[in-house]
Amino acid sequence: MSELLIKNACVIDPLRRINAETMDIAIRDGKIVEDVSSAAEVIDAHGALTLPGGIDSHTHVCGTKVNFGRYMSPEDMRAGRTPRRGAMHATSGYSVPTTYGNSYRYSAMGYTTLLEGAMAPLEARHTHEEFVYTPLQDTMANTLFDGNWAVMEAIRDGDTKRVAAIIGWTLRAVKGFSVKLTNPGGTEAWQWGKNVSCIRDPVPYFEVTPAEIIRTTVEANELLGLPHSVHLHCNNLGMPGNYTCTLGSLGLIPDLNPRRQTLYATHVQFHAYGGSGWKDFCSKSEPIARFVNMRPQIVIDMGQVMFGRTTTMTADGPMEFNLYRLYREKWSNHDVELETGSGIIPIVYRRKNLVNSVMWAIGLELALLTKSPWQCLLTTDNPNGAPFVKYPEIIALLMSKKYRDAEFATVHPDTGSRVPLPAIERELDWYEIAVMTRAGQARALGLQDLGKGHLKPGAEADVAIYPIRIDEVDPSVDYQKVIEAFSQTEYTIKRGRVVSRRGECLVDGSNATFWVRPKVSDEYDMGRDPEFIENFDRYYTVRMRNYPVQEKYLNRNRCIETEAAI
Amino acid sequence: MKVTLTMKPVARSFIPIEAESLVPKNFLSGTDLSVWRGNRELGIDEIFSVTVEGEADRPEDVEIVILGDDTFRLKRVGEYMDGGKITIFGDIGMHCGNFMSSGTIEIHGNADGWLGREMAGGAILCRGNVANYCASGYRGGRKGMTGGTVEVFGRAGDFLAENISGGTVIVHGDAGDMAGAEMRDGTLIIHGDCYRPGANMKGGSCYVYGTAHAMLPTFKKIGTVRHEGRTLIHFTGDVANRGKGNLFVKDYRYLD
Repeated sequence: MSELLIKNACVIDPLRRINAETMDIAIRDGKIVEDVSSAAEVIDAHGALTLPGGIDSHTHVCGTKVNFGRYMSPEDMRAGRTPRRGAMHATSGYSVPTTYGNSYRYSAMGYTTLLEGAMAPLEARHTHEEFVYTPLQDTMANTLFDGNWAVMEAIRDGDTKRVAAIIGWTLRAVKGFSVKLTNPGGTEAWQWGKNVSCIRDPVPYFEVTPAEIIRTTVEANELLGLPHSVHLHCNNLGMPGNYTCTLGSLGLIPDLNPRRQTLYATHVQFHAYGGSGWKDFCSKSEPIARFVNMRPQIVIDMGQVMFGRTTTMTADGPMEFNLYRLYREKWSNHDVELETGSGIIPIVYRRKNLVNSVMWAIGLELALLTKSPWQCLLTTDNPNGAPFVKYPEIIALLMSKKYRDAEFATVHPDTGSRVPLPAIERELDWYEIAVMTRAGQARALGLQDLGKGHLKPGAEADVAIYPIRIDEVDPSVDYQKVIEAFSQTEYTIKRGRVVSRRGECLVDGSNATFWVRPKVSDEYDMGRDPEFIENFDRYYTVRMRNYPVQEKYLNRNRCIETEAAI
Repeated sequence: MKVTLTMKPVARSFIPIEAESLVPKNFLSGTDLSVWRGNRELGIDEIFSVTVEGEADRPEDVEIVILGDDTFRLKRVGEYMDGGKITIFGDIGMHCGNFMSSGTIEIHGNADGWLGREMAGGAILCRGNVANYCASGYRGGRKGMTGGTVEVFGRAGDFLAENISGGTVIVHGDAGDMAGAEMRDGTLIIHGDCYRPGANMKGGSCYVYGTAHAMLPTFKKIGTVRHEGRTLIHFTGDVANRGKGNLFVKDYRYLD
């Protein structure tokens, strides 16, 4: 039995509506409890800001495309080397670091839970193997269904229950956590050398539209009772004028779930562009934010762009091809059989570039114009917009108009006429930042009942103590102190153990992987469905019995059983 | 100031020595420098017998002379050098003159791979042969040499001046395969033969005074020009990559 007591913590815990109360936190055997014995180890927080462990609801840290990003960018590997030290392994890489690099840097920033943004089901084993070597964070994986042949055939037949059954079987087989749609239909069209222009454009051969894919998958997701909603990367990423397509996609979504959103739209910054081409490219964050403000069933994340070098990687193959035609540098393209595809391009976002400057502004505008912080979460779509180590700077930008103005003075001079950012006065407070970096994520991912994102007795003891006293620092002026504080915790506590102290990781860790197993009736068990089995064995290059990921690939196995309505 | 470093003979040791500290400016504050051999850090007096003559206030006045039989074990000599002179009476290991911005390196023997990689200025003179990737960019990096001069009196290996973005490379002997690959700017002059010059070049000028073997078909023939007393055939290309570079060859042979 191990016991820990954190004294004099200035706690912000939005899921319990606690805003900056000084209290003690008692921890026993990895859980938060009411009180502990006098023998407990004591940490005195001295009134420092104490939050539940951070949760990243959309990041690319593990899996085949991340790994391909690593080996196509040896220059990135040279950029961030740290030697072996204490319990820490040597790391390397800046925008696509090694798994330990990701884990240590996230832990130093107080993050204890990560959602891998896109896992191709066929390549799930690789993702799970990398999860095991991301020891200081609990992990879960969005599973890609955007170009799944069986799903699209069922959608064409109008059989929502069959869609749900296929998704349920696949999630269970590959140990996935939630449903991800990346450019729905577009990746399949890319296998024919095409793309879809918007949600009403049919996919070649299957003759289903992205709108049908989104709508049916959202309904199927609720039939399965999954903890997270459908996680959508809209069509037309990065194209000028794509905001109409984004609004069209968001408009498809009914309100089906009282406990959480019905759709999570990710990295919306990349989908909020106006104009008819790069010459009149401008921000359309206002209509998007207004739309989201009126619809509680939608949660978005920022996908903030920060200036500097990074790597873009996505399952959206055609989009990466367009980027390649712009930059003419190295490019990788992958096709994942009957499921999806991917593309990777290293990239530099520059202040001198008007398009990049507008992109930088749009992300901030989305966060500032969305009224409820529960509906716009903080991400960079790591590493697509920027590596996650830039989060502290984004937090400071959101909290300080002064900092935004100072940064705005350094971007391309024409940016002012393209974006509303200079006119936005709003400065977020500590509570809102806590929502946007952990509590909002826990609710959106459906993790609060599993003890994530809050510090209620019974919750997992994931705590981050930041070296800052919020009563002494005015974030709108002292933004530099905010950046420093969020860059490195005083203590990061994971499952009741101090795993990181002032940036130094102290233990080797042992992460847990969350995955879902929807309970469906025998009638809808795809493992026994003759048509599904026949098509699987005909079209896949693997046998169906070799396809599922065995449980031994998971480190600590947290299976979530759901009651499906089929 | 003249610093003479004579390598102490070692029986049967071929472990490379990481000697990035051997740069003129470091000797301004004494000879208390260290190098790495494998995973061990050693003072330079354990590897060399060191003698110093005279004094200097600025790196430009420092000359380092490296002597010995196994100088080929020394890697990264002159990395980030910003003035002064290094003379090596023997062969030198990989990565000599990495990122140098000023000064002179003279090698009286052969040089191993990556000589003058990503250098920005200064001059390197090699009286022997150079191995692969002379004056090129490193793995995954996008720019090779951006300024300065590399002159080689012997032969060059493969990927000579890959990704070169400025400066001049002159090779008096033959070069290997893929000379001037991914060239962006600058000048590459090969007095002998080479294989597949200028692959995927975007800009700059590449001169081959011998024969270009396995000439790439993606270059467009313009005509003949006179250049320093020679008649050369002028091509532009690489057409596969917007074709803004100039390739001049004395003679060329396509693959059959």
